[in-house]
Amino acid sequence: MGETLLPQTLFLAMVGGYAATAAALVVPQSPRLSRWVGAAGSTIGASAGLALAAAVLVTGTPFVAQAPGILTPAGGLLLSLDRLGALFLAVLSGVAIPASVFGLGYTAGYGGRYSLGWMAFNTGGFLLAMSLVVCAANVITLVLAWELMALASYFLVVTEHDDPAVTRAGVWYAAMTHAGLLAILAAFFLLGAASGSTGWSFGELRSASPSLSPVVRNAVFLLALAGFGSKAGLVPLHIWLPRAHPAAPSHVSALMSGAMVKLGLYGILRVGLDLLGVGPLWWGTVVIGLGAASALVGVLYALVDDDLKRLLAYSTVENVGLVCLGIGAGMVFRSLGDLEASALAFTAALLHVINHAAFKGTLFLAVGSIVHATGTRDMNRLGGLARRMPWTTPVFLVGALGLAALPPLNGFVSEWLLFQSFLPGVASSRASIAVLLTLGVGTLALAGGLAAATCVKAFGISCLAIPRSSRAEAAHDAPGSMRAGMVALALACPALAVFTIPLLRTVTSVLGELMAVPGAWPPPNAGFTVQAPGVDARMSPVAILVVLVGVLAGVWLAVRLLASRRRRTGETWGCGRIVQTPRMQYTATAFAEPLRRVFDELYRPADDLIVDVHPDSRYFIQGIEYRSRLPRWFMRFLYGPVVQAVVWAATRTRTLQSGSVNLYLAYIVAVLVVLLGLTIGF
Amino acid sequence: MFRGPGVAIEIAQSLLALMLAPALVGLVRWIKARLQSRQGAPVWMPYAQLRRLFRKQVVVSPHASWVFHVAPFVVFGATLVVSLLVPIAVTPLPFNDVADLFTLVYLLMLATVFLALGGLDPGSAFGGMGSSREMTIAALSEPAVALAILSLAMVSGSTNLGEIAARTVADPAAALSPGYALAFVSLFIVMLAETGRLPVDNPSTHLELTMIHEAMVLEYSGPYLALLEWASWLKFFVFCVLASNLFVPWGLSTSLEPGALAVALATTLIKLVVLAAAVAVLETRVAKLRLFRVPELLAVSFVLGLLAAASSFALR
Amino acid sequence: MDHVFSHVAVLGSSGVLLCGIILLWRRSLPSYITAFRWQSITLAGLTAGVAYFGEDRNLYWVAAMILALKGLVMPRLLERMVRRFMADSEVRPYVNTASSLVISGVLVLLAYAAARPIQALATSPTRGGVPLALGLIFVSLFVIVSRRKAITQVIGFLMLENGIALLAVLGTYGVPLIVELGVFLDALMGFLVMQIFVYDIHDTFSTIDVDVLNRLKH
Repeated sequence: MGETLLPQTLFLAMVGGYAATAAALVVPQSPRLSRWVGAAGSTIGASAGLALAAAVLVTGTPFVAQAPGILTPAGGLLLSLDRLGALFLAVLSGVAIPASVFGLGYTAGYGGRYSLGWMAFNTGGFLLAMSLVVCAANVITLVLAWELMALASYFLVVTEHDDPAVTRAGVWYAAMTHAGLLAILAAFFLLGAASGSTGWSFGELRSASPSLSPVVRNAVFLLALAGFGSKAGLVPLHIWLPRAHPAAPSHVSALMSGAMVKLGLYGILRVGLDLLGVGPLWWGTVVIGLGAASALVGVLYALVDDDLKRLLAYSTVENVGLVCLGIGAGMVFRSLGDLEASALAFTAALLHVINHAAFKGTLFLAVGSIVHATGTRDMNRLGGLARRMPWTTPVFLVGALGLAALPPLNGFVSEWLLFQSFLPGVASSRASIAVLLTLGVGTLALAGGLAAATCVKAFGISCLAIPRSSRAEAAHDAPGSMRAGMVALALACPALAVFTIPLLRTVTSVLGELMAVPGAWPPPNAGFTVQAPGVDARMSPVAILVVLVGVLAGVWLAVRLLASRRRRTGETWGCGRIVQTPRMQYTATAFAEPLRRVFDELYRPADDLIVDVHPDSRYFIQGIEYRSRLPRWFMRFLYGPVVQAVVWAATRTRTLQSGSVNLYLAYIVAVLVVLLGLTIGF
Repeated sequence: MFRGPGVAIEIAQSLLALMLAPALVGLVRWIKARLQSRQGAPVWMPYAQLRRLFRKQVVVSPHASWVFHVAPFVVFGATLVVSLLVPIAVTPLPFNDVADLFTLVYLLMLATVFLALGGLDPGSAFGGMGSSREMTIAALSEPAVALAILSLAMVSGSTNLGEIAARTVADPAAALSPGYALAFVSLFIVMLAETGRLPVDNPSTHLELTMIHEAMVLEYSGPYLALLEWASWLKFFVFCVLASNLFVPWGLSTSLEPGALAVALATTLIKLVVLAAAVAVLETRVAKLRLFRVPELLAVSFVLGLLAAASSFALR
Repeated sequence: MDHVFSHVAVLGSSGVLLCGIILLWRRSLPSYITAFRWQSITLAGLTAGVAYFGEDRNLYWVAAMILALKGLVMPRLLERMVRRFMADSEVRPYVNTASSLVISGVLVLLAYAAARPIQALATSPTRGGVPLALGLIFVSLFVIVSRRKAITQVIGFLMLENGIALLAVLGTYGVPLIVELGVFLDALMGFLVMQIFVYDIHDTFSTIDVDVLNRLKH
């Protein structure tokens, strides 16, 4: 017994827990029971997964398991959880536990309309598949787990399958995820075939890759970047994300945004950092470019969207972009041979992966609770929730402040590290890199500023002021299980900021396994201060938190003791109008209007303004009608032609479908004959 | 760095900033009035204003939630923490190891976010308008600030204020370097935008459609309004100290010797008076920009920041 | 002393460049002319500075000529042109102001990247200003491309010429007087020719928007 068997036990507990959700399928007559079975199975599985990840991260010995008997021709199933995988396993399990607890109460709303057993089973399968993706150690295992993940998440996205918008989102999601899968397959086939290995295990690929021709390596990198990038939501492959995330149930959205999207980044790191080793300079440059584009496009669209969940989905695109800025900078420095700067940039990227999972998970759960209470995601129909939902709104605020990267929460820490990691690059002797990274700093800052505006819009419009609809007026706070789930995840945000140093140690150990990291960083006596190596900048999240809380308490006490305490209720000033109505408030659209006008060359909005004037004099206006749409020109210019081509090809091939069984049999025979002929011919 | 006494000095200078901030704003108002051939209110008028507000009762809208009550404290607290960071007389101080320029900028952003939320909470149209505009300006000024910080960091090798100031104190000619000069202009524009001065926002306007800061605090009264006003004055003070002591840190002390401290304090005060006069002259000379010209002004500041960063890495 | 002079040279070149960027930020033609005047004066001052530190008497003449021709005469002529057409502002440029400014910033960065090799070779204390001169050339070209009014384009062209002069003064630490004279004459000729064109465009179309020129196709 003892240490050697512990990982095995944990792994079995994880798989067992997730598999147990299948039991929810056999109790269809009791929705209550299936909810409990699903939540319990997922929670147990995720807890075991978290423990397994922690064990691997602490000890550093990878957990290995194999089943060579299954699918032998393709190399058999091979699992090996190293530190990089364990980090992502920890992130996804960490989000999965509160999301599952939240789901227990949240899914109650689906009872009677959709099969709760099916949903619980798919959630378990989804979590299991994601956990297996990070454990996979050869191509066939990875691809199988990846596809399982895609399927399970597809079924979850189309939960509300009677809504045409949801099924459309499902089609986009399925199409994009499979196009991505094709690219990943192509990348691995190229790499595997060129490496000449038999089992296509990651170990063999890793040792073979440095000797491959640059053309193959470049092709593999680009294909993997496209394939994994489409899962991560990198621009321009992000279009499924703002459709699928809002369609899925909220706790699943939290999982998709906090965990699944991160697996795309895991894939990019696994291939670009681990399997292919050091690449040419332009790889990193491409990743920085895509990251900057994603960050800006993501935050700009998040800013103008009025659908709360779609806003969060776009913000996920932004944060994936930020992580890619870090990854790209790390790759650039690695190519230039500056390992210290490289390690700092990768650390910042990985830290942001963890932090984003925490605050975005929190936000999706909070929004889930709002949707649960009001039945709408449209911000222009919300408002006044802060007085009605005393649990949800503080949680929402914590997540939103994390999203805006404000101190003292965790989002700030990783954004700060990202800034610092760009500084040594600006000092680089290469003018092109210096210029690129200077623009990168500008992008990072602009994205940060716009994220703050988005945070104010998301929280301020939907939670504050006067309710804009009767549903919002009658809102009530969430039941206990939902509260527990979201509060737990919200508490993780300040906690992750406080425990930055241990977190950095873990991330550095992950990097140490993948690449030579010079020196021990952070220094052993760091205390609570983060010191960026190479740039000599210091910052302590703990001290900021303590000082801020101390000063706040002091000010509060002083005001309480010294200032007047008289208070009176008086109506909001409305230029003399006595009754304040919700129509007099700023709407979500209006809030974002100035920024929309500033960036209208990017949005290219289609505005119609119809002013209906009195027939006698044009100075008397009878009515004004204003309509504004933001055409999604990504859709029109990039995907429009592709969709048209696919539809064209599909109509052409439709003639094959006659409905006659004999003809179908004839096709089979014909194919058989052709194949036989080819075999004989060779 | 000077552990025990350092902390005491740190807190003392923060309180000093808090005490002097209303006077600085009063001074700007007075100079402006004189320039416009008006008598002008005395320089200590803002203190009287605070005193009056702290004694008055608070009027709270029936639509306001807990955010309305929390916001003034967060705005004031975050700005006060920022004032702990800036070197007023002596550098580096203990808090220098805790936070750097980026932290400072994001702490100010925290204050701005809560101010905007407080503006939205009572459900007034003006509050929403002010919040929306304030966030627009705050978001767009961020890149310029980051690039200005970048160019300072390029010269001094660190983003911590202590290092930046110490580096310029050691080499006074560096203040003439183009990276510094351009970054100063860039940051000065941002300062005007962030502290709601002309040509971005008119601090003395009460015309509802043109105001930004005033619109957000429209629903606040009594001690809450006092906190918000004081915080905004403190923010102006902090920006002025930053502009004078990061870019022209001559006279700044690097030890705790009383004589050096006194000299440093005196030079800082002189620099602040000069800067206040400059702001007052500028506010008298220029007209308020249309709201949609403001992003263009911030783009100018961004270009200056780019230039500053570029010339500091070219001259390394 | 050289240390301070190189700082001053870069600051001066930044000033010259910023006068060029004002074209993108302001909208009124008179302010463009003012910007051009100040740019020429700064350029003349810089040239005089280089003459002093480089101990090159001829450059004083160049400085004086820049001051006289570009600082006084040409702005006068431009002002007369503006008054004659009663054109006062550059409306609806092809690229909006904020984007123009950001683009100009990126162009300057590009100039930095492009000037890196020249800077590495040069030894003069003024080499720090070379990228800025190159940046001014790029920005002036961008002005010519993205603005509608013919007068704006003329000013853009003149600023381009200032950029070339700045590059010559800073990069090679002064050029022979005769070469400089030749360039001057070219610029003057160009200016006169363009002036005639602007008058002609105005006579034909009674506007100085260059947009209308595509009517000539028919």
